[in-house]
Amino acid sequence: MQYELRTQVIEPIRKTFTHLVERYGDRPASRYEEGTIGLQATEHFHYRPLWAPDKELYDPAYSRFVLTDPYSFTDPRQLYYAPYVTARSQLHEAFGKTLDYLESHNLLARLPEAWQQLLTGLVLPLRHYESGGQMISSNACRFAYGTTIAQCAGYAAFDRVGNAQILSRIGLALGGGTTDALTEAKAAWMDAPALQGLRRYVEEAMVAGDWGVEMVALDLADQLLYAVLYRHLDEVALLGGAGSYSLLAQHLAGWFADQRRWVDALYKAWAADPETGAANVEHLGAVAAEWLPKAQAAVGQLAAAIDELVPDAGAVGAVDAAAASVTASLAALGVSAAASAHSKEESA
Amino acid sequence: MTATPTRPARKLSMKARYSALTRDLDWEPSYVSSEEMFPYTSFEGIKIHDWSKWEDPFRLTVDAYYKYQAEKDKRLYAVLDGFAQSQGHLSLSQASYLNAMKIFLGGVTPLEYQAHRNFAFLSRHFNGPGPRFAALCQSQDEIRHAQTEIHTLSNYNKYYSGMHSFLKQHDRVWYMSVPKSYFDDALSAGPFEFLIAIGFSFEYLLTNLLFVPFMSGASFNGDLPTMTFGFSAQSDESRHMTLGLEAIKFLLEQDEDNVPIVQEWVDKWFWRGYRVAAIVAQMLDYMLPKPVMSWKEAFELYFEKQMLEGLFPDLEYYGIKPPRHVQQAIDEKEALSHFVYWVFYNFSFAANFTTSIPSKEHQAWLAENYPDTFVDYFQKPRWDKAQRIVDNGGRFFFMGLPQLCQVCQIPMTFPEPGDLNTICQRTSDYNGEHFNMCSDGCKWIFDREPEKYVQAWLPVHQIYQGNCGGPTVPDVLAWYGMQEGDGGEIAGSRDEVNWAAWHGTPAAKEA
Repeated sequence: MQYELRTQVIEPIRKTFTHLVERYGDRPASRYEEGTIGLQATEHFHYRPLWAPDKELYDPAYSRFVLTDPYSFTDPRQLYYAPYVTARSQLHEAFGKTLDYLESHNLLARLPEAWQQLLTGLVLPLRHYESGGQMISSNACRFAYGTTIAQCAGYAAFDRVGNAQILSRIGLALGGGTTDALTEAKAAWMDAPALQGLRRYVEEAMVAGDWGVEMVALDLADQLLYAVLYRHLDEVALLGGAGSYSLLAQHLAGWFADQRRWVDALYKAWAADPETGAANVEHLGAVAAEWLPKAQAAVGQLAAAIDELVPDAGAVGAVDAAAASVTASLAALGVSAAASAHSKEESA
Repeated sequence: MTATPTRPARKLSMKARYSALTRDLDWEPSYVSSEEMFPYTSFEGIKIHDWSKWEDPFRLTVDAYYKYQAEKDKRLYAVLDGFAQSQGHLSLSQASYLNAMKIFLGGVTPLEYQAHRNFAFLSRHFNGPGPRFAALCQSQDEIRHAQTEIHTLSNYNKYYSGMHSFLKQHDRVWYMSVPKSYFDDALSAGPFEFLIAIGFSFEYLLTNLLFVPFMSGASFNGDLPTMTFGFSAQSDESRHMTLGLEAIKFLLEQDEDNVPIVQEWVDKWFWRGYRVAAIVAQMLDYMLPKPVMSWKEAFELYFEKQMLEGLFPDLEYYGIKPPRHVQQAIDEKEALSHFVYWVFYNFSFAANFTTSIPSKEHQAWLAENYPDTFVDYFQKPRWDKAQRIVDNGGRFFFMGLPQLCQVCQIPMTFPEPGDLNTICQRTSDYNGEHFNMCSDGCKWIFDREPEKYVQAWLPVHQIYQGNCGGPTVPDVLAWYGMQEGDGGEIAGSRDEVNWAAWHGTPAAKEA
């Protein structure tokens, strides 16, 4: 038996905002849609930017990648601010619990020596890589055309500082509460030969100048790096008595799976655009042809250093496998395999 | 690996920990040049010698940010849901209160979004990690504000007029070009000018005059969701205010050569922001059925007392003087809102809000708050006349198109300094063309950067040039996306009729 609560009913005169009715039909809109679609102005800009007088404040021409209708892309996660911060709050809370556990059981100090070196010398320095990722993503947030892409990029930018913070907190823990391990890691980022390829890569990606190209370049390196460090090594760690590494890696692997959802959807939207799709596919091929071999070489250097520390890690092989998988997923979008092949002979 | 920790010893202070987690992420690039990495921070002439001198105004780590913000949003959305479910809109002071929110949604919310995008620009392009991280947090906050404002007002849109096309109207409707051009001006400037324009002038100097009055009005008029939003945004805003203050001090401390540049930006952005505040002034004085305080009182408290007497004596240490033209703003405080609401009364047939002659009680309140101006300059020559027209069965609307100021884009309505009966008009010639400005402040801004302001998209010019849907009023209104009931007179408006029906009372009077 239910009790009957009478409530005052007033018929609304409309279900949502007009631009959403025009796009999606006369139905109530979700909070994602109301808070996202069409927010960025597209007309009647008053002044040209002093720093880019050939462009409008928001201009599709900030990238070679163009969507005829910017809202043909929507975030498959439907993230607006409130669910975004809620989801990330949970991620960081879960990570904090893992770290607390590891610290309270002194498990980081019990990692095999090689894994400790791997963490400090090769993984912690990547907090700087994440910081570069923030800057690339922030640039995309400013210059992408349309709210849906800019919003994803904006959250991704903040995510990157979060990822860097996860790595930094591991570093603080490894340093027994001091910044010693972080200082060592920074020195490695600046000078260790195994990391210079990656540092050069991210510095060059940051100045590519086209937000779309920068994002794709970052993503190509991400796909190799995350596959090796947080998926492949996760397995190796479990088999090699370094379970703590696996416990930490799961949080970054989980983040990357979430990141892929919108990046893959964006690639699909670029490729599927009825007017610009062919050109987008061609650009994607060109960007991959230029950047994937560089990414593979840079991450390969890092992987080689991993294999030196943990002889059975198979990291170099994992990078090659990840690169092949990137090529295959691009091919599935119609991006020509020759253009995106990871060796120069094949692309020539 | 040399460190062999035993039990974790938390040796770091909060400050050192924060620094390790944010600032220390930065590195000096060596594979590309610093100029390639940061191409936008030199052309404005600002000199920064040591970016590390930036004092982080809020030492918030990322996990703490997520946690606080998620908790705040959970509470806010619970209020929004409850209000919607209980038909809370019926307990507003009056349906006409929502005119303030119609202006807010169309005029302010898109600016929050623009701030989100451009703080992202700063979070990439400043050389120093301190300001970059501060800008990154503010960029996140600003999309929060844009979205929570939309979600807060979304429920009203389902029952009331004038909010349904707020994005299109921000870009098209004549008076919306005032806030839009203001923010476009900031975005099209360099990163340092943006920081002073928005970070300092908007968020610190003028926030209590530009943003907060809407929240206070909500509180006085039964608008629980907007009030809750206002409280929910408060901790974000106090971070933004602190950032704005840190920004100006940082620039001033870095190099003496920065002082004259910053001074001109303070001069410019005070006046730009003050002109936008004219719209808020009329809202405070005329649109709230239950007024919070008069514009004059707000200006005296939040600007003269808090800023001129509080902030500027501190800034004097750096060689910064109060904004040029500030005296004109002070002189106008008794008249500003009245001129602007009169314009809105004349042109609300082409707006997304309704207007009416203030009631007898309201006019008494205005006379009390503006003893030297209201009766002689506004009540007798304007409202009494408008009332006679209404008494004879009419309603006065001005069916022509007003001349707009080339800079602030408000119709030319402001008085000559010291003479409320004469409209102020200033002109400048540039490249053989003639441009009109509403005040010495706007003319000074134009003359500094004429090449910028000649680009302005002036709504009236655009209508004359045939770019706004056609030559007639209905053509233009259709192009604005206006629907029946959006604009015009309050009495007999769709919102008022519905309100009366929902409350079981006859509409107060027919138009």
